[in-house]
Amino acid sequence: MESIGSIADGYLLSTLIFLPLASCVVLWFLELLLRVFANGAGISEAFWKLYGVAVSLAGFLVSLEVWNRFDPASGQLQLVERVPWLANLGIHYYVGIDGISLLLVVLTTFLLPVILLASWSDIGVRVRQYVFFMLALQTGMLGAFLSLNLFLFYVFWEAMLVPMYFVIGIWGGARRIYATIKFFIYTMVGSLLMLIGILTLVYMHFQEFGVLTFDYIGFGGATGILDVPIAAWPEQDPWWSQRQVWLFLAFAFAFAIKVPMFPFHTWLPDAHVEAPTPGSAVLAGVLLKLGTYGFIRYAIPLFPEAAQACAPLMLTLAVVGIVYGALVALVQSDVKKLVAYSSVSHLGFVMLGLFAFNLQGIEGSVLQMVNHGISTGALFILIGMIYERRHVREISAFGGLAQVMPIYAVFFLIATMSSIGLPILNGFVGEFLILLGAFGTYPIFAAVATSGVLLGAVYMLWMVRRVFFGPVVHQANQRLVDLSLRERLVAVSLVIPMVWIGVYPASFLTPMDASVNALLARLRDRGAVLSDEVALDANPRGGQEIDLAGESEPLEKEPDA
Amino acid sequence: MTPPVLDVGAILPMIIVAAGAVLMPLFEVLLARMIQQKRTWLSRPMTRELAGTMMAFGTALILGTALIFTLGGFLRPDRVFNADHPLIRLDAMALFLNAVVLLSAIMTVLISIRYLAELRNNRGEYYALLLASVLGMMLLTSAMDLLMLFLALELMTIPIYALAGYQRSSLRSNESALKYFVIGSFASGLLLYGTALLYGATGTLALDLIGQARFDQENPVALVGAGLLVIGLVFKVGGVPFHQWAPDVYEGAPTSVTGFMATAVKVAAFGALIRVMAVALGPSQDQFYVPLWVIAVLSMTVGNVMALIQRSVKRMLAYSSIAHAGYAMVGICVGTDEAYAAVLFYLLVYTFMSLGAFAVLAMATRERTQSGEIGDLAGLHATRPFFAAVMAICMFALAGIPGTGGFMGKFKLFEATIARWSATPADQGLLWLAVIGVLNSAVSLYYYLRVPVAMYMEDPRAGETEQPGSGFFGWLVLATCAAAIFLLGLMPQDLGLFWNLDPLAGAAAAADALR
Repeated sequence: MESIGSIADGYLLSTLIFLPLASCVVLWFLELLLRVFANGAGISEAFWKLYGVAVSLAGFLVSLEVWNRFDPASGQLQLVERVPWLANLGIHYYVGIDGISLLLVVLTTFLLPVILLASWSDIGVRVRQYVFFMLALQTGMLGAFLSLNLFLFYVFWEAMLVPMYFVIGIWGGARRIYATIKFFIYTMVGSLLMLIGILTLVYMHFQEFGVLTFDYIGFGGATGILDVPIAAWPEQDPWWSQRQVWLFLAFAFAFAIKVPMFPFHTWLPDAHVEAPTPGSAVLAGVLLKLGTYGFIRYAIPLFPEAAQACAPLMLTLAVVGIVYGALVALVQSDVKKLVAYSSVSHLGFVMLGLFAFNLQGIEGSVLQMVNHGISTGALFILIGMIYERRHVREISAFGGLAQVMPIYAVFFLIATMSSIGLPILNGFVGEFLILLGAFGTYPIFAAVATSGVLLGAVYMLWMVRRVFFGPVVHQANQRLVDLSLRERLVAVSLVIPMVWIGVYPASFLTPMDASVNALLARLRDRGAVLSDEVALDANPRGGQEIDLAGESEPLEKEPDA
Repeated sequence: MTPPVLDVGAILPMIIVAAGAVLMPLFEVLLARMIQQKRTWLSRPMTRELAGTMMAFGTALILGTALIFTLGGFLRPDRVFNADHPLIRLDAMALFLNAVVLLSAIMTVLISIRYLAELRNNRGEYYALLLASVLGMMLLTSAMDLLMLFLALELMTIPIYALAGYQRSSLRSNESALKYFVIGSFASGLLLYGTALLYGATGTLALDLIGQARFDQENPVALVGAGLLVIGLVFKVGGVPFHQWAPDVYEGAPTSVTGFMATAVKVAAFGALIRVMAVALGPSQDQFYVPLWVIAVLSMTVGNVMALIQRSVKRMLAYSSIAHAGYAMVGICVGTDEAYAAVLFYLLVYTFMSLGAFAVLAMATRERTQSGEIGDLAGLHATRPFFAAVMAICMFALAGIPGTGGFMGKFKLFEATIARWSATPADQGLLWLAVIGVLNSAVSLYYYLRVPVAMYMEDPRAGETEQPGSGFFGWLVLATCAAAIFLLGLMPQDLGLFWNLDPLAGAAAAADALR
């Protein structure tokens, strides 16, 4: 097996993670060479933009290859790589993918080239640095999604903040420095407490079982923290049972800030409003998903009992977030801020689905993460397009845009509908599954959450009416140019997955089916979490008749681009 | 009486440094004569500037030779100069810390070339004093006897008093020297008094014998003596509440000296503190747990909170160095071998990240024309991108962002804390120590982030046409610091692949050798 193909096979995920970072280094050296040999005559900015788009597109192709090799029938972690890093501390470079992370990885690699293309004319200064930070950010995000070692996860999780800090701080709006420092510190406070949680968990594990490891799950003979059945933990030991709750809260705090859940959301509107368009799009599209992903990958499976004990708290916060985010969005006069608050509301739905602890809820949540990434990312990009033309974002500054920019209006409307959850677009499928799952477990919370769907339609449609319909009031709006070819390309590429997921969600639900079932089985193993009065039914496949990814559907493979 | 068997090879690095300290003034005289007689050297006319550069090279050469011999010492650790009276023991910890001290000194010398030329104040006494101080530090980290420890401490600090006041024409430099001298003497007095009390209580000055004596825990004389000893050392590392001198002294001293003080002095003093705690006071460690806990928490908190409100970068870094002393005190408070190893590793990392920051300050800001405020760094990325990048890396490392050595160091420290806590879960204080530590990291983020904000997100101030350059050696120091920060953060165990020196294992072995 000495062909290059087999090497690439073994390191496919590492290639995916480190391709952007490696091209960052290449970019830096190119610039250095130019400064030395070309007497400071830099390459044109267009080259760096093209470089960024090309590299991120290559990353997307690699991720499609990952999807191609991924076996949807297996709930196991796949394409695993594990090499010692700080081996005597139980720290390994350990990455792998399952159906849940697969979708988020593809979302990330899909959004990055689109965002870079969308920001072509938006980012006008220090383009090389911009491309550098965006690519570094991609490595951080992919690494966090793919890590299977708690230490490695933590490293990516935190290191990712640095490029985002620069993106907001350099290219942002007037209050960018306040916003970027707030973003950084908020996230860091949460994650530092999680670091203590990680260390405590690892050393508790070490004390009980004599194995010092940061591995999330065992591989190739080595055990991970998740492998020990919960029954093996000394249940009568108050040390453990009390601390499980504290540990869960330490993890949950870090993730809740990132999601962001009410009341830890206050950094988000600032960051979104001050960030440049690509910054907002990545933030909403991918970064927030890391919080919900953290719950599904770490906080819930590691501490299932505690998660269930805390579920009322988490659900309350989620539902409050749904309604509160929607109400605040309703009164916003700034389009970007409106969409930012709508994120708080939408991610409340994701949390609701996760803590429903059943197949529909969790699958809906994962799908809704993808949906939110696409539709909110699209909204931010589209808002950026109009901001580039007018340099305002006040709703009252617009009106009647549908007459001046009909193509723009169509795309914006589709993105809005997708965000609201109109059937045949993606948002509907996710919200429907979440509410279905939540009604099974916590009908009251689900009922309150439903009002969020309603309010969502109200604030989005009201905004659309004020921006796009009615007479053209402002002179400045009369001469607006409709979307250019590049902008149309961006918009179309975002609309395709919206329609695809809306019409045929099976191609996205099927890959995660086995993984979510494996997750539920693990939850059951680790403490009989899904007792009968909590779960809809004892049989994990019981929800099949209402499962949109029914087995009657042929397994559809994503056609490679 | 048989003559003592002396192992001169064990102290060869110290002999080299001592010889350098003695010969440097002579070398200066020689160079001054060459200038007077308008001689040339390698067909270049000898000027003051060239003379300064040559003295710096000479010093770097001496320090480099000593470093090589120190690293060679790892092949045969645990050598004792005089086996009958083991005043000095070059165990792994001493060798490790000596290597760190020498590295710091070499980098200080290299950045001093440009810095002193800029101040037009490049004289031989600077290098002679520096070498003498390094000698004191090397003795301090290896001292096994309280008297030796005191002598080494004085040999280390007295040249530093002079170095702090090196810029004789500057009022602030004079103030800095005087403050440091008065307070430092006070601390030395406390330490000496503590030594005397301990001697009275145990009848010996040797650290290991004091440890063996297991002095009566109820004996107030011994406890007070040990307490004063520890306080004297905490003074030197700048731990709260014995930190008041640090900001003024750091701010007034020439920046290159400040970098040296913030790193090498601290490293050596921590070495002595670890040795005193582990060897002499090890059996009675529990008595010191609460005071050390308080010092650690106060140092972290006060250092970080005070740093928040500073306008001057140098003062900010001074308070940050107090906070970092607090992080290291966490390890000393925890007091396991693992924790001591973490402290040693932390000191290594801290040397690079702190010295890197001071080096940029020394080179990027013009002391005579600028106020030293953060605003001076505004827009540095455009004028001096390399300086800005290294400074940003140092700031992120000091803040403890993963991927940098600063994170690895803090991780090791808090890991050791949690490890001990998980073994003795009843002791909630350890958990709180770790929690307070990480929350302090979050606080520190605010002021560390302000530096990249100024450098990358603000426009250069009007009227500042050009920044001074670094010169090759300044560049080398910055590149070394940046590379070391990443290497220690990403592959601390694999560094051995390159030069057979594994900092993590080295620190662990060093902590082992203590007992």
